[in-house]
Order: sequence, then C-alpha cells, then structure tokens
Amino acid sequence: MIGTTIFKIGEEVGNIGQFGRFVWRSAVTGMQSIAKSDTYPLIWAQMLAIGVRSVPVIMITGAFVGMTLAIQAYDQLAGMGLEEHLGVLINISVVKELGPVLAAVMLAGRVGGALTAELGTMKVTEQIDAIESMGTDPVKYLVAPRVLACLLLTPVLIVYADLLGIIGGWFISVIHLHINARAYWSFSAYGVDLWDVACGIIKGFFFGGAMAIISCYKGFNCKEGARGVGQACTDAFVISFISILVLDFAMVVIFKSLYSIFWPLRSLVG
Amino acid sequence: MNTEQQTTNNEQQSVKPDDGLIVLKNLTRRFGNNVVLDDISLAIEKGKTTVVIGPSGCGKSVLLKHMIVLMRPTLGEVYFKNKRIDNLDDQLLTGVRAHFGYLFQAGALFDSLSVAENIMFPVRQHCQITRFSAVEELVRNKLKMVGLDGLQRFYPANLSGGQRKRVALARAIALDPEVILYDEPTTGLDPIRADTINELILKLKGELGVTSVAVTHDMKSAYKIADRIVMLHHGKIIADGNADYIRNHPDPIVQQFIKGEISKKELEQLHKASVGSSVRLPCDVED
Repeated sequence: MIGTTIFKIGEEVGNIGQFGRFVWRSAVTGMQSIAKSDTYPLIWAQMLAIGVRSVPVIMITGAFVGMTLAIQAYDQLAGMGLEEHLGVLINISVVKELGPVLAAVMLAGRVGGALTAELGTMKVTEQIDAIESMGTDPVKYLVAPRVLACLLLTPVLIVYADLLGIIGGWFISVIHLHINARAYWSFSAYGVDLWDVACGIIKGFFFGGAMAIISCYKGFNCKEGARGVGQACTDAFVISFISILVLDFAMVVIFKSLYSIFWPLRSLVG
Repeated sequence: MNTEQQTTNNEQQSVKPDDGLIVLKNLTRRFGNNVVLDDISLAIEKGKTTVVIGPSGCGKSVLLKHMIVLMRPTLGEVYFKNKRIDNLDDQLLTGVRAHFGYLFQAGALFDSLSVAENIMFPVRQHCQITRFSAVEELVRNKLKMVGLDGLQRFYPANLSGGQRKRVALARAIALDPEVILYDEPTTGLDPIRADTINELILKLKGELGVTSVAVTHDMKSAYKIADRIVMLHHGKIIADGNADYIRNHPDPIVQQFIKGEISKKELEQLHKASVGSSVRLPCDVED
C-alpha cells in the first residue's frame, strides 16, 4: 500500500519533470522557428487551421455572451432605474472576463481536441518516430508551429469575441429593450478603459500558449490504440480548461495589483 | 527465469566499439519490471545484411529502435562509426539519424501529405533545394525503384498495404542512406510483393553498398537476404551465424522457430482446451 503510493508519487513527479522539459523544448524551438524563415510555411498552415477556421465559432460565442448578459442584467438595473448603465456592465464583463475565458474554453475544445487527436494518432501510427528517424526534431516540426499559431492568434480571436459580444449586447439593449443609444455608449465609454481591453487580450496569450502546449504534450504522450487517443483528448481538454481558470484567477490578481500601482487614485474610486 | 530460458544457449559475444558500423554493447532495456532486452552485445558489419529473427514480442523492434536511438537503453551503450550515440541530445542525434533510413512496420507514412511529399520530406529537411524539378526527378526515380511511378499525387489512404510499404521504402532511401533498418519489411504482403521487397533489399545492397538490418519472422525472406542471422529469445541472442549455420542449429528452440512448428506441449494444451470447452452461452446467433 505504502509502496504503491510512493511509486505513484514518484511517477507523478516524473510526469511533471517530463512536462517541464517538453515546455522548455517547445519554447526553445519556438524561438528558433521565429528566427528561421523556412518554418514560416508550417506556421501559416497552422494559423489557417487554428485561427482562421475558428473565427465563426468564436464570433457566435461572443455574440451570445453579450446578448445573454443584456437579457439577464436588464431587470436588475431597470428595477433601480439604472438601465442606461447596462452598457458598462455588459462591455466590461465581455472584454475583461467572459470574452477571453469563454473564447479560450471554446478554443480548447475545438483546437486543443483536434491537436491532441492529430498528434496522438501520429504517435500511435509511428509517424512521430518516422519524423525523428529522418533526422528532424518532431517538436520543431509539429509542436512549435502549433504553439506559435495558438499563441499569436488566441488574442486576435478574443478581439473578435469581444467585438461580437459588444454588438450582441448593443443589439439586445438598444434595439430590443429600447435603451437610449447615446446614454448606452456614453456610460460604456466612461466605464471601460483601454486597460480593461488590454487585460483581456494579454490573457489570450497565456490561455492560447497553455492550451496548445498541454494539447501537444498529451498527443505526444498518448497511450496505444483508439482508447489511448480518446483518453488523451479528454485529459487535454480537462487540464486545459482548469489551466485557463487558474491562469485567469492569477492574472486577475496580478492585473489588479498593477492597476493599483499605476493608477492608485482611480483604483480607490473604482 | 523459467526452465526453458535456463536451458537455451547464449551466443552472445563481447564487442568493442570499432567492431562494426553499429555496435550495441551490453544493452539492457526494461519497461517497468519487464526486461525486453537482456545484456545484448551485437556488432553490425558494414555493407552486410543482418537479419534479426525471433518470436513476436521478443524485442526485435525494440532492438532496431535502439540502433537509431529512437529508444534509449536502460543500461549499456550504442555506437555508430565508433562514436557513442545513445547519450547524445536530440539535436546532435539529428545529424546521426540522417545517415539512416528506417522502414517502419506499418509504413508510418504521413497521411496529411501526398506520396511525392512523403518522399520529399527528408530531402526538404536535409538538402538545399535550388531546383524543384531535380526533387521531382528524385521522387520519380525512387518510385520507379519500388515500381510505383505515377502515384505521386495519391495520398496514403488511397493506397493498398503493400503500396504503402513500398512508398515507405522509397522514402527511407530518399537520401541514399548508409544504413537501412527494416522493421518487418514483408509482413502483410502477398508472396510476390514480399519477394519484390526482398529483391529491392538485395539491389540496394548490391548497387549502393548499403548496410542493412532487418527484423522479421518471415524465414523465406531471412534466408534470401541475410548475410548473417541473429535469433533473439527472451531478450537474449541464442543463435548467431549465416543461413546454413541457423538451418543446422542444434538448439530445439531455434529449430522450432525456423520450421514454424508448434511444440508438443503447446499442441497438447491446445487439444485439451478445444475438448474441454463444454461451456455453452445463450447467444443470439441464428443457425
């Protein structure tokens, strides 16, 4: 019993070490890939698959987040006679929290799952071994372009989610609930800073990077057979999802501290 | 260790790094508690074809993967051209692996790339391409060698098992490697296609002087292509010599394997099991 527990702890520590090495290798080869133009075609191809093809689903996610927030918050604010402040609530929630987090979760499902399944299948059919046997680093050829594409395009996709969230909120608030448009936008402009938008976009880099690296790692280390690939996809999504939530919490704390340092007076008022 | 293992003879020889092009010295590989390769020492001679035989699951493919350091040994050393390679980092191994061609058991073709792109892959990774027409010509030549010219635009999913294996062979020889490692080159092929692969292996050796290591349990193929046959059993080398030596080997385990016969003990167990299966389950199968 004790022996088994010690063995399992040892195994987990080993796995963490292995993951750490994988992250380091990916980071180093990613940097090298940026410096070498011959890897750009691989990065463009991944950008198309990961970024461009995710735009519709991200836009739909953003739009529904904005619309739902408008419907949910209207009654509470209208009850206090503050319905013209609806824009602040919707837009700050969308650009700071819900847009980035829900876009990242959607990407973890759509892109992360596909990355793990693709790399996992390559692993069990010895395609990754084949790349290695031909003197090519599989991390450089397979992982670096995917991580770079996710890292660069997740913030861009978050901008799309924010944009559609804002439009969705406006559509329900102004067109459907007949809130004064001028007041709606004036309060929004007053309440939402460039800092808030930047916070959401910066989160995108970390969410995209974490999701890509976890998905690639799970694909590279998946067990034999269809069951192994399926399990790797499930693990990749669950771990990516939890990582997004943990990173979000950590970044909220960091950004709040930074805000207090740069704008101490406004943070007290806010 | 069971009795069978204790009674098998061990034809293991001690080796020095300069004994061959590839040298495995006291190689042991464990997966958990399972010892797959047990203190193996083997020197692969330059320009010769060495065939590794043995029952399924005896560690033949694992042995092959250690020669190119796709797997690292638990204990022991691997040398290529008198230089230790099992302790090199992945970046340094890249250069070493460019000297090798590897034919995987199921081909391991990249299913997102066409046949031509698969063969171009190692060329693109290691050569400065100044004229694309030269690469196309190279692809055509390699495909002609394996009798598949004209399939350049096909994808692996559209090929038969035998065609996939031959495309994989064309990819393995794309850079004219010094060493080709074949993992079950004829498994899953019809006898004529299997013989085509055997002839190709002989042709590569004759024309390019390639050093080959093939892992197989196809004895017809082994006798045809081998300069030397090594038999693995329970992670140890139990027979090592040319085809005639193996044919006349005194060890009953070797004889049983090369003749493809089931042992008397196993045969008895099989008959007992078939007679004793009196359990009938209610199944939904119509007569």
